[in-house]
Amino acid sequence: MDDPVADMIAKCAAADRAAFRALYRDTSAKLMGVLLRMLRERAEAEDALQEVYTRVWVRAGRYDPTKGRGMTWLIAIARNLAIDRLRAGRESHSDDGLDTVQDSAPRAESRLVAKGEARRMADCFNTLESEKADAVKGAYLNGLSYLDLAARHAVPLNTMRTWLRRSLLKLKECLES
Amino acid sequence: MTDAPLSPREEDDALAAEYVLGVLDLAERAVAEARLKRDADFAALVADWEVKLGGLNDGFDEAPAPNLLPQIEARLFPKPAPAAKPRHGFSFGWLTGALVAAVLALASIATLAPPRPELVAQLATADNRLAYRVTHFGDTLQVTRVAGVPAVAGQVHELWIIAPNANPVSLGLLEDQPLVITYPAPPEGFTFAVSVEPTGGSPTGAPTGPVILTATVGAA
Repeated sequence: MDDPVADMIAKCAAADRAAFRALYRDTSAKLMGVLLRMLRERAEAEDALQEVYTRVWVRAGRYDPTKGRGMTWLIAIARNLAIDRLRAGRESHSDDGLDTVQDSAPRAESRLVAKGEARRMADCFNTLESEKADAVKGAYLNGLSYLDLAARHAVPLNTMRTWLRRSLLKLKECLES
Repeated sequence: MTDAPLSPREEDDALAAEYVLGVLDLAERAVAEARLKRDADFAALVADWEVKLGGLNDGFDEAPAPNLLPQIEARLFPKPAPAAKPRHGFSFGWLTGALVAAVLALASIATLAPPRPELVAQLATADNRLAYRVTHFGDTLQVTRVAGVPAVAGQVHELWIIAPNANPVSLGLLEDQPLVITYPAPPEGFTFAVSVEPTGGSPTGAPTGPVILTATVGAA
């Protein structure tokens, strides 16, 4: 399968700085989108973006193209860093303007046709009850913690844990079937 | 859906998913990260979840990103320090394209430090009652308390750095003022820790009191 981002990451692993710059040009808008959505503040997001690409360069040798697409690997690094920052003590923005309109789910649906992974996820996602699907999306896209989710859905923490754990395992079963 | 408890394998799988999703609190996250480093099976579960949950990535819109390559490259490919290091900020705002390359070449003559200190680690309690920010600029490491208060009378917070598989090394005491020391930027995998020691610091050269905060550079 054609994956130019994966090719650029492989070149970064070989210390190709031109490839690193090309990778930044081609992927920074998407990663900035991830960081801005989760960290919610431009200065923090820009600071985090620098750290993300620093990690990308340092870890490029660990990327395994047989395990997933290049962009998926990059976004995982960005999300991981954003969650680190959120959990390390920034105030949670659990409900700042978080109406479902921001989830851009309808737009996402239309772009899913081209990508197998996304389409399968959309199908499996639809098998979840809507409140549980919202919780998974709230965590993945907005960086909400268990505490945030329990508050948002007005359920005890342990209930949210059970919901999410079971929903995630159900998603996995569906994705692997 | 049954209420049967999860099997050990399902527990691990769920934990890996929770870690990738990001819902764990700071303490739980630190435990998962430590496990990630030493348990290859768990690491494989995490990698698998990153791909599976990656199916949601279309939900992220793109956003304009400024060209931060000069700052990123200054971190990754620092020029060796000449005798004198000018500390004035140098803004890349007016440079474009090819000019940036020419200026970076000139940097071997006069070191151009990135205009901002870089955040190296954040040490904070889950409720942010106590937090320290570790930044690095040029050849200086600075540790600033951004939340909470110093230790009570008779005690002091001491900062340690722990290289992988090495013993903690004291970097100094965290009192009223920020700690500023000459120190290289610590690589990924090094861990900062704060312990509570008697006034004056640990008498033994190793932490003697409880470790209340930790943060690993470039964690996971």
